[in-house]
Amino acid sequence: MLAEESGGKILEALHELNVQTIVSIPKVGPFDFSITNAVIYMWVAAAIVFLFFFIVARRLRKEPDGLQIVAEILLNFATGHLTGQIGEKGKKYYYLILTLFTYILTMNLIGLIPKPAVLKPYTPTANINVTFGMALVIFLFTQFQGFSRHGVFGYLRSFCTPKGVPKALGAPLNIIFFPVHVMGEFFKPLSLSVRLFANTLAGHLIILVMLGLLLQYANFVILPTAVFVVIMLAFEIFVAFIQAYIFSLLSVVYIESAIYAGH
Amino acid sequence: MAFDAQTAANLGAGIAMGFATIGPGVGIGLLTGHACEAVARQPEVSGDVRTVFIIGLALAEALALYAFVIAIILLFVV
Repeated sequence: MLAEESGGKILEALHELNVQTIVSIPKVGPFDFSITNAVIYMWVAAAIVFLFFFIVARRLRKEPDGLQIVAEILLNFATGHLTGQIGEKGKKYYYLILTLFTYILTMNLIGLIPKPAVLKPYTPTANINVTFGMALVIFLFTQFQGFSRHGVFGYLRSFCTPKGVPKALGAPLNIIFFPVHVMGEFFKPLSLSVRLFANTLAGHLIILVMLGLLLQYANFVILPTAVFVVIMLAFEIFVAFIQAYIFSLLSVVYIESAIYAGH
Repeated sequence: MAFDAQTAANLGAGIAMGFATIGPGVGIGLLTGHACEAVARQPEVSGDVRTVFIIGLALAEALALYAFVIAIILLFVV
């Protein structure tokens, strides 16, 4: 009872996390293609990433100025730190990882800008469908790389016991190795998507619940709550960068393990 | 107060989150301690140590957040 009375403003503040359909398109089979605010902000984030790199590439200068410095930092980061883990063969995955990192970073940061009444930014990554879509793309890409490099049989062989184990001992151990490895492969996109989704959602949830609390009990708790909300907002920005980095880094590690399968 | 499905779900959500932060809490504490010791021993590797520390942090945090997802499911879907 106390929760129902006192939860009104808090639950109202949480409405921001709902997915609101803007243009409703009738379902085609099980697929619902309506334009929701998640879709709109994914487009906005994609447009921001594209325009950023497009504009920087148009006006390359010998002495980098502001935007170009940021672009160069991102490029060096993606080539050296992230894709550099794979070594020589990693050169061709550099564009995917760079785009992935910048896109996830933009989507995370969009949800943190202040929200005037007309424009209500919604964080696309706080939606499990968005993150699972991206993780599924990375999963399919990884498996495709593995199968196309080693052939179907060669790639499946890398799931079995490692080389160097004598055959009499190694062959029965396949019963344990193979299912565990396959389950691990399927668990990877799941953990990737849930990690990104839960980190962003938890941050937003804490901030919104605290703000709802502040609106509900408008008395002396306002000041400490507001300070806490500002601190959580700063932490959210930190988490946005970290989670984008971790997603891209783990994608690189999975791609690397599929390319060098078994060696 | 009848002990129905809704009550059990709320209780489960609380217990899940409570137990879920024990493991990652210990893990992150150990991780930070070792990182601090490494930097204190050899300050020039602080950049590399920071990278590894942040990777470990995100991976350990993810485990607590799996339980958070379960708690959210329990609260808002039954």
